[in-house]
Amino acid sequence: MLDHAAVQDIVLRALESLNDERAADDRFVVGPQTRLFGADAALDSLDLVSVIVDVEEAVSAAAGRTVMLTDDRAMSQEVSPFTDVAALTAYVLSLPELA
Amino acid sequence: MSDVGPPYAGRVALVTGSRRGIGRMIAEHVLAHGGRVVGFARGESTIDHPDHTHVQVDVADPASVQRGFAELKQVTDAVHIVVNNAAVLTSQYSMIMPPAAAAAMVDTNLLGAFMVSREAAKLMRRSGWGRIVNISSMAVGLEPIGDSLYAASKAGLTTMGNVMAKELAPLGVTVNTLGVSAIATDMLAQLPQDKVDAVVAGLPLPRYAEPDDVLNVLDFFCSERSSYVTAQTVYLGGVH
Repeated sequence: MLDHAAVQDIVLRALESLNDERAADDRFVVGPQTRLFGADAALDSLDLVSVIVDVEEAVSAAAGRTVMLTDDRAMSQEVSPFTDVAALTAYVLSLPELA
Repeated sequence: MSDVGPPYAGRVALVTGSRRGIGRMIAEHVLAHGGRVVGFARGESTIDHPDHTHVQVDVADPASVQRGFAELKQVTDAVHIVVNNAAVLTSQYSMIMPPAAAAAMVDTNLLGAFMVSREAAKLMRRSGWGRIVNISSMAVGLEPIGDSLYAASKAGLTTMGNVMAKELAPLGVTVNTLGVSAIATDMLAQLPQDKVDAVVAGLPLPRYAEPDDVLNVLDFFCSERSSYVTAQTVYLGGVH
């Protein structure tokens, strides 16, 4: 069973992995408030795709089943689940397949 | 990795529609040159080789593709090459084309290639190297009567591939399209021989394609040296 701390850790590790690939002066602060999407986000669109795929894989591995984060449910959320770490963590935890 | 000869040694190639026709030919070619093949097809395997793994997948069904990749990951954590070959063809006048047959062509020929490519790309990004080759058709250029949706679905492969080429370029993945002319396969046998003969006679190179014609271009797209070749479509036989 994935709890809040475990899911948030997965998201943060995906961001840290992205940071590791960047030059030292291009790295961003990784934390629960890190913006993933929008004008003030530190990630470009391909970075965000990479983070989503990493989180999908890690959550699927932890859950023992395929979990998709970019299906119609995600697109129909009132607030995008990809806004920041907190929103993505909350969205993952809301998925019925993880209940 | 050697630049001499077909570029498959040490590579894992995912070939869809691998049971017969061009897909089987490609799978056997990769296996014969030291590659490992994961074949996706709806039916049972027709290839007996120690480096071949068959997974029963209907690429027209996204859930089946997801299950197929889950099974694939049980035997390999890498996919280096994807050949999107699986296709269905119903040749019929538009006004009497059964809707289910029309949908099947879009779902298999276009959506299937999309789903397989996107799942494979997730694995390719880890190694920073990948080759995706979409198998298209001379129908795109010749626009034969009866093939409205088949030709459109194959034309869509080029557009889809070109966009994916942009998206995947930063990951070291190329995406190209190979437009095959008439070649002896089960699919071609569905069509009236005299009509196919007439089409072939009208090609700039008026003969049927041979397996090596297909494999030559496949090898080129998949080679190490083709890292600067992406978003390209090559038609055989002079079709354009």
